[in-house]
Amino acid sequence: MIRLRDDGYRPGREEYIKEDVTDFSLFVRTSNEEIHKWDRNKITEALLRETDISEDAAVIVAKEVEKLVFNLNLEDVTAPLIRELTNAKLIEYGLEHIRKQHTRLGVPLYDVRKIILNQNKENANVPHGPEATNLTLAERIKKEFALIEVFSHDVADAHMRGDIHLHDLGMIDRPYCSGQNIEYVKKFGLNLPNAISIAKPAKHPEVLIEQVIKFSAALQGHFAGAIGWDAFNIFLAPYLVGVDDRRMKQLAQILVYEFAQQAVARGGQSIFSDINIYWECPKHFEDVPAIGPGGKFTGNTYADYVEEAQKFALALFDVYYEGDAQGRPFFFPKPNVHLTEKFFKTEGYDDFLYKISEVASEKGNTYYIFDRGDTAKISECCRLAFQLREEDLEDAKEPWKMRYSAMQNVTINLPRIAYEAKGDDTRLFEILRDRMELAARAHLQKKAFIEKLLNMGKKGPLALLAMDLDGEPYYRLHRATYLIGMLGLNEMVQSHVGEELHESDYAYLFGLKVIAFMKKVADELGEKYNLHMPLEQTPAESTAYRLAMLDMKYYPLQASAVVKGNKKRGEIYYTNSTYLNISAPIDPIERVKKEGVFHPLIEAGAITHIWLGEARPDPESIASFVTKTFKNTQNAQITFSPEFTSCLDCNRTSRGLMDRCPYCNSSNVEGITRVTGFFSKISSWNKGKIGELRDRRRESSLGV
Amino acid sequence: MAEIKGFIKTSMVDWDGKVTSVIFLPNCNFRCPMCHNYELILNPSKYQSISISDIKRYLEMHSDFIDGVVITGGEPTIHKGLGSLIKQFKDMGFQIKLDTNGSFPNVIKNLVERELVDYVAMDIKAPLTDGKYKKVAGIDVEISRIRESVDYLMKSGIEYEFRTTVVPTLHTEGDIIEIAREIEGAKKFVLQKFEPKNAMDERLRKLKPHDASYLRQLAEKCKCFVSKIKVRA
Repeated sequence: MIRLRDDGYRPGREEYIKEDVTDFSLFVRTSNEEIHKWDRNKITEALLRETDISEDAAVIVAKEVEKLVFNLNLEDVTAPLIRELTNAKLIEYGLEHIRKQHTRLGVPLYDVRKIILNQNKENANVPHGPEATNLTLAERIKKEFALIEVFSHDVADAHMRGDIHLHDLGMIDRPYCSGQNIEYVKKFGLNLPNAISIAKPAKHPEVLIEQVIKFSAALQGHFAGAIGWDAFNIFLAPYLVGVDDRRMKQLAQILVYEFAQQAVARGGQSIFSDINIYWECPKHFEDVPAIGPGGKFTGNTYADYVEEAQKFALALFDVYYEGDAQGRPFFFPKPNVHLTEKFFKTEGYDDFLYKISEVASEKGNTYYIFDRGDTAKISECCRLAFQLREEDLEDAKEPWKMRYSAMQNVTINLPRIAYEAKGDDTRLFEILRDRMELAARAHLQKKAFIEKLLNMGKKGPLALLAMDLDGEPYYRLHRATYLIGMLGLNEMVQSHVGEELHESDYAYLFGLKVIAFMKKVADELGEKYNLHMPLEQTPAESTAYRLAMLDMKYYPLQASAVVKGNKKRGEIYYTNSTYLNISAPIDPIERVKKEGVFHPLIEAGAITHIWLGEARPDPESIASFVTKTFKNTQNAQITFSPEFTSCLDCNRTSRGLMDRCPYCNSSNVEGITRVTGFFSKISSWNKGKIGELRDRRRESSLGV
Repeated sequence: MAEIKGFIKTSMVDWDGKVTSVIFLPNCNFRCPMCHNYELILNPSKYQSISISDIKRYLEMHSDFIDGVVITGGEPTIHKGLGSLIKQFKDMGFQIKLDTNGSFPNVIKNLVERELVDYVAMDIKAPLTDGKYKKVAGIDVEISRIRESVDYLMKSGIEYEFRTTVVPTLHTEGDIIEIAREIEGAKKFVLQKFEPKNAMDERLRKLKPHDASYLRQLAEKCKCFVSKIKVRA
């Protein structure tokens, strides 16, 4: 009989005949903060409870362990030590699969001390504090759990070897990220499962904003990554009728400050939040009946509230322009402005474009999202985009239904494939297909696990996602996407054809061929497994470092020839996704055009960064550059990223990264810039990203 | 013809509202202590010359992005053949901006009359008196020629800006207001923030730069003399 090994129920097995306990004055410190007298039967019981071992075998193993312990002449032992001794016996007896079931997950004392005392460098959005430490510790254990329990052996091994990277394993019991609009909150108020109090739909904009932020915090607890809000100003607009300029600005400040200062929430992390902004009413919302105060339909459509939506957008960018109390850029929420064909035909677009470009130049917050033709998408995270398909646009008629999620992101380590293919094209594409097949299976396994949690419904751990206020669960599993990311296309091509992407047309075209192949295979596998699997440019905040390190270990000769960064200092990395070498002398126009050619193949999100350093471009020139990017290229998304030095003594913020404050000469300064998508303090970056930062070619460094 | 010693392919800082490419010509008749391109005027041979055909190839390929070409230096107007260099870009359909210190009014006039430039950015180093100008330009300057360029640009009908890099210790607040008064009626006056770290005169490198807010206050005081004032920080 095959038993379910995770339900803890073993019919009949509890009734086994206990043997007499040897009287022996040894004490065991258990994990439950108790000290028990030695009892061999506890070993037997644990084995029977947790594994498929036979009763006889369990009894024998327990006796053997007892003999071992007695011979050691100990005064007391810990339960984890007994478990490991038991595991050692299991291995001796060839019971490997039993040992695996009997695994103890945990963290060595040394590591816990380090985690409590030192900063987490895997995610620059995690500050250091007791909450953050909890997060790190929990993630450590859940990560091990995921690799043993959720994924099959081959998938887990491929991750550990670094063939592929499974993202957010520490958050294995939640989906990856979520994109939605505020209509759900407007219509249903805040009525969350297990909540102590329930709020009716908001009547005032202040209350609505507060509810949205609380809901974001709740969602953050159920997703690993970003929480994105679609067409925020459009949907807020019916609440803004008759609001004067002063209050409008204050509303914008409430929104930005409340999101920006949520570093008191889960794991001490800010809510990784995005707000999507439109200057015009997007086509698919024009005729949609608007929901207003009290969650009631106003009798108008969203097209009727464009004026209010625009006023809010302007106020919002005033807030971004000012920055925080010290003039620093806000790290969250990230504003994604959608430029569409209609944008350029909507009155006042040029003034708005100027305003958001002023913010781009001064503080860098603005993300320019290009939706050409009939494309419509929700953007979030570092670059993620949910492209709205036909059925989604159907949902748009009842916008609260528009809830999209990426279940998981799996990144393919591209350079390693080149090392393994040894210059053979056919082999290279074969291995790539195998790796993607592995990634697809990883997706199926994660999907099955989350589905199990969701099926537990209101009593389960994902009750919030299972809540059903509109006829279907909040989390619409059938609409989830499964991301395939890529890392180090540049180094793959460099290793395989001998030149980097920007160094020859041949290398560049080969890179395109690889990504086009990936798209084709992702579509095929999607069909085969019935998963929607678009490509995404992996942000690779820690992956770019981790996979480079692993390749230096397993493929030292090949990897050291192409890996970027400073090997002596250990600050190494692979170039993110399909980017061109970030230190190469490629000017912004060439970069936007060349990187942009990849973007249509990467449906779930691609971006080009223009690193400004200390340069402060003219806002009108930025506006002109952005307009040309929309009209003359295929680039999906660009952002201009400045660098700042924030002085902790005189509290002033200056442009560029400096060791000392130019105003008061203090060395007590903090550098701030974008890590992959969001702003963060450089002191919290991992070594690989520090290496990348040193290499970034900034536009201010061009020329004489 | 002047050798081209530097080329920035894409610039969004050199011509307000436009995406440009920037061409650097060597040498200069001034020796401003705050100059940040001084290697280009003192040791131009340190830089490799860039072939004009490479530049034209780049411009041709990206004419869908690039609006104009900025000619800067050094001081472009000291070079013979400046007009024919510019004409090559002009003939390709690009607009031209000239950066100059204004000490060769005839060259400026000639370029404007031949319709070879669309925009002139002229530095006003200091109030137009001999002593003050010499301190900031680092050489004796014939003030009448600066005056002539100023007057010409204001009458010419061409787009232009006057600009002053405000350097602590070299300029007082009164100096800047005096400059504004001397160019009274000008279309555009730009106050530029001084960046100490690359200054020619080592003594200036240790200076604390002005705050953007100080420059904005200063701009407020100059506003009444000119149509448009701007701070470039």
